Amino acid sequence: MTGRGVKARPRNRVIVNKTIAPYLFLAPFALFFVAFLIVPLIYAFDISLYKKAMVGGVRFVGFDNYTKAFADPKFWEGVIVLFKFAFLQIPIMIATALVFALILDSGVVWAKAFFRISFFLPYAVPAVIATLIWSYLYGPAYGPIGQTARFLGFEAPDFVSPEWILGSIANIAQWQFMGYNMIIYFAALQAIPTDLEEASVVDGASAFAFATRIKLPMIVPTIIVTVVFSIIGALQLFTEPFLIQNMARSVINSNFTPNIYAYNLTFVGQQPNYAAAISFLLGGVIAVASYVFMLAVNRRKDR
Amino acid sequence: MAVIELRDIRKAFGAVEVIGRANLTIDDGAFVIFVGPSGSGKSTLLRLVAGLEDATAGQILIDGADVTHLGPAERQLSMVFQSYALYPTKTVRQNMSFGLEVARLPKAEIKARVDGVADILRLGDYLDRKPRALSGGQRQRVAIGRAIVREPVAFLFDEPLSNLDAALRVEMRIEIAKLHQRLGATMIYVTHDQVEAMTLADQIVVLDKGAIQQVGTPMELYQRPANLFVAQFIGSPKMNVLAVRPDGSALVFADDSRADFGMPVPPSLAHIGFRPEEVQLLPAGQGHLQGKVEVVERLGSDTFVHVGLGALGIITSRMPGNVLTISQGQPVGLGLTMTQLHPFSRDGIRLS
Amino acid sequence: MSIVGKSAHSAKFRRNRWLLTAILSLYFIYTFLPLFYVITAATKSNQDLFSTFGLWFAADFQLWENLETLFTIQDGIFLKWMANTAYYSSVSAIGAALFATFAGYAFAKYTFFGKKLMLALVLGAVMIPQTALVIPMFLMLSNLGLTNTPLAVILPSLVFPPGVFLMWAYIDDAISNELIEAGRMDGAGEFHIFSSIAFRMLMPGFATVLILAFVANWNNYFLPLVMLNKPDMFPITVGLAQLYSTAISGTGGVLLFTVVMTGALVSIVPVIAAFLIMQRFWQGGLGAGGVKA
Ligand SMILES: Nc1ncnc2c1ncn2[C@@H]1O[C@H](COP(=O)(O)OP(=O)(O)OP(=O)(O)O)[C@@H](O)[C@H]1O
Ligand SMILES: [Mg+2]
Repeated sequence: MTGRGVKARPRNRVIVNKTIAPYLFLAPFALFFVAFLIVPLIYAFDISLYKKAMVGGVRFVGFDNYTKAFADPKFWEGVIVLFKFAFLQIPIMIATALVFALILDSGVVWAKAFFRISFFLPYAVPAVIATLIWSYLYGPAYGPIGQTARFLGFEAPDFVSPEWILGSIANIAQWQFMGYNMIIYFAALQAIPTDLEEASVVDGASAFAFATRIKLPMIVPTIIVTVVFSIIGALQLFTEPFLIQNMARSVINSNFTPNIYAYNLTFVGQQPNYAAAISFLLGGVIAVASYVFMLAVNRRKDR
Repeated sequence: MAVIELRDIRKAFGAVEVIGRANLTIDDGAFVIFVGPSGSGKSTLLRLVAGLEDATAGQILIDGADVTHLGPAERQLSMVFQSYALYPTKTVRQNMSFGLEVARLPKAEIKARVDGVADILRLGDYLDRKPRALSGGQRQRVAIGRAIVREPVAFLFDEPLSNLDAALRVEMRIEIAKLHQRLGATMIYVTHDQVEAMTLADQIVVLDKGAIQQVGTPMELYQRPANLFVAQFIGSPKMNVLAVRPDGSALVFADDSRADFGMPVPPSLAHIGFRPEEVQLLPAGQGHLQGKVEVVERLGSDTFVHVGLGALGIITSRMPGNVLTISQGQPVGLGLTMTQLHPFSRDGIRLS
Repeated sequence: MSIVGKSAHSAKFRRNRWLLTAILSLYFIYTFLPLFYVITAATKSNQDLFSTFGLWFAADFQLWENLETLFTIQDGIFLKWMANTAYYSSVSAIGAALFATFAGYAFAKYTFFGKKLMLALVLGAVMIPQTALVIPMFLMLSNLGLTNTPLAVILPSLVFPPGVFLMWAYIDDAISNELIEAGRMDGAGEFHIFSSIAFRMLMPGFATVLILAFVANWNNYFLPLVMLNKPDMFPITVGLAQLYSTAISGTGGVLLFTVVMTGALVSIVPVIAAFLIMQRFWQGGLGAGGVKA
């Protein structure tokens, strides 16, 4: 019976072997990756080396745009705004997300699924719409926050004043992204094997001690990743201030964040070459910030 | 029906050599078992034969034809994986017919083959189930069935029984032995399990650190291990080994005690080995070595006596039945028989 | 699951349960109020929006009037925006999820020359600020005459690096190497193994990436803002933002305030509904990605 085999295979079929298959699987993604990521980057780098002259079109200026950007207070003011924003927004968001994830995971509360899903829902709301909604809520006349404050007999803060603006934007980010991080932590916590829990119940560890001493350390890698992504996201701040600009022209100027600055340089100021240099510099700032964070984390881990 | 030949096969992953210059001929219809410690390269060698890994150097021949550069299917082999690797979204029937459909066999023939094999393996009632609705043993049989329907020239098994419980393992072991008799096909089988190796194999290939240590029938390996590694790897409890140096017709042990057998001793002798059943327990003072009983293990069918020899370490003696006359702490003498000793050189190679 | 549940009768446990549920409820109010505000605002007239309490309905229920205005304004442009959003997001999401799945499969199941480098590139791509990409992309595409076409929004969105990572992690877990090798032993080619064995097994991961890509595109603002300048090509995000700035600058008349909120309501209802229906998928998939990370 054995040995007849399955030789009936028609020879004309092309069998892709496992050496070239991965490249073929990667090809569509890689093609678009190159066309819409690598090439624009190279192109941006290229134009960042030129400058529009008053007469005679563009000319090559080497790294002049970068030296200019390096000394440009408008860029660094934006960077400072970003860092203030990141230091305000990220710790609060990560902390609340962690606490809520631990609470939901511990199972102490009622209506776990309800809370989990409703906290996540704002993630589905586009940033533009979230910003619109919050800017209505912040509104001095028609905003319910102001209304409530007046009703109670005091004046609500001006949410788009220079003192409050970053807090107001951070609040929008908190509203939108806390739930997303919470879900990720929750999933990571749930993935911890339950026999570990049983072991620690036998140990007599209290629920709180168990959550903070045993479970929390186990999801540290997940936390680090989400923080890195939050840093990257925060430093690219654009949509929220860009829209709030409509109601706070004096507070949010044309270089409030580097991304807004680059946008305005390109489409208002007609200086795409300089804008490209600004964008690259911002990319550098983001890379350095993420790297410094990772370094700090690893330093602590090693100790 | 196939003779499989490996010629100077080497395999490296990056800079790490995992198989070094393996030469092996597997006879037509033979049941060959690869054994060796974890990480010794058993799976890698099997996967090289299967065509799942490309050899770094050397040749693989099946029935004299060079298949080194052919893909797995073109080698006309079937493989049964440790995890079964059944296609979870397909039914049992679809699992078994997939390879035949790929080969574009006529529908009627596919059906006939699958039904026939399902019959042999008693899978008829499960043909429309998905794998997740089967027990471990049934999944294993489907995996074997999927291998059989392709009617390969040889079967490859990578620890196929290691996920089964002990009772089922014995049952499947017998089933595989019957299958081998029935199909008469060449089979290569990787296992950790000594009993599987000794009972199933026509030939055992012992691997260590990516090198073939010895090839032979189970009895050859047991009775004439080619080196210290094989000597200690095959057999349970393992062979006792003591370091010695020759002195005329006598052996001098590490603690300077002597045993004179009145026979010539090979001058390059450095170790002697003897199986637990090849050492006799004698009253204290008699025999070639003196020791004290440390532990007695009674299995009912056998009694294992572990005797401490001071600086020489501990050796094990095996006696049939439940030996009641021996107890812990008792001083004993050990009697060896020169003709039964396994002599090894300093490098661990068998002498004579 | 719950360790405390086992001692569910202690007074301390009951107190904690009340306290923690209260904390979560407070945060729920915070999460929910803005959404509730959208609902009340969408039911009011412009006068009432300014004169009545923001978090409750006005006596005069104007939702239908507002909807009518929303859908008739500028010859029904809002409907066009919705259609544009649906078109751009669904084409982009399907393409992006497919490409990410292929790429994730390659990363998870093959070793090949250049793998590490490519992974590093894809990971590094996440750090590039949007402007650094979108602005040069705009300049390039405008040279090609592709700005102001759907392609200008769709093509760049087909690159979705987070999807690649998610699929990589998912496939690595969900499909064993032995399974693929079993397919090879059965004589199936690599594509055949993918399409007839692997693809159905990675459907849950695929669905997650599809949803995430869809949401990412649905939410996208910067790319269409830069690429499109004809109002009838806008997606909702760009359109509503434009309506809003008209409303606030007063040029379009105060009339538009409630219309913007009505538009917000209409555009988030479908996404929220989709999220609720598909929660099984995104919860599982996000988990896979998060845990792997
Ligand atoms: N793809 C690979 N890349 C790098 N090294 C590998 C790879 N596959 C196997 N190895 C290494 O090759 C050596 C032999 O592995 P192999 O799987 O053949 O061992 P084995 O004898 O089957 O072990 P076990 O009994 O544990 O299954 C091991 O050291 C292993 O780490
Ligand atoms: Mg193995």
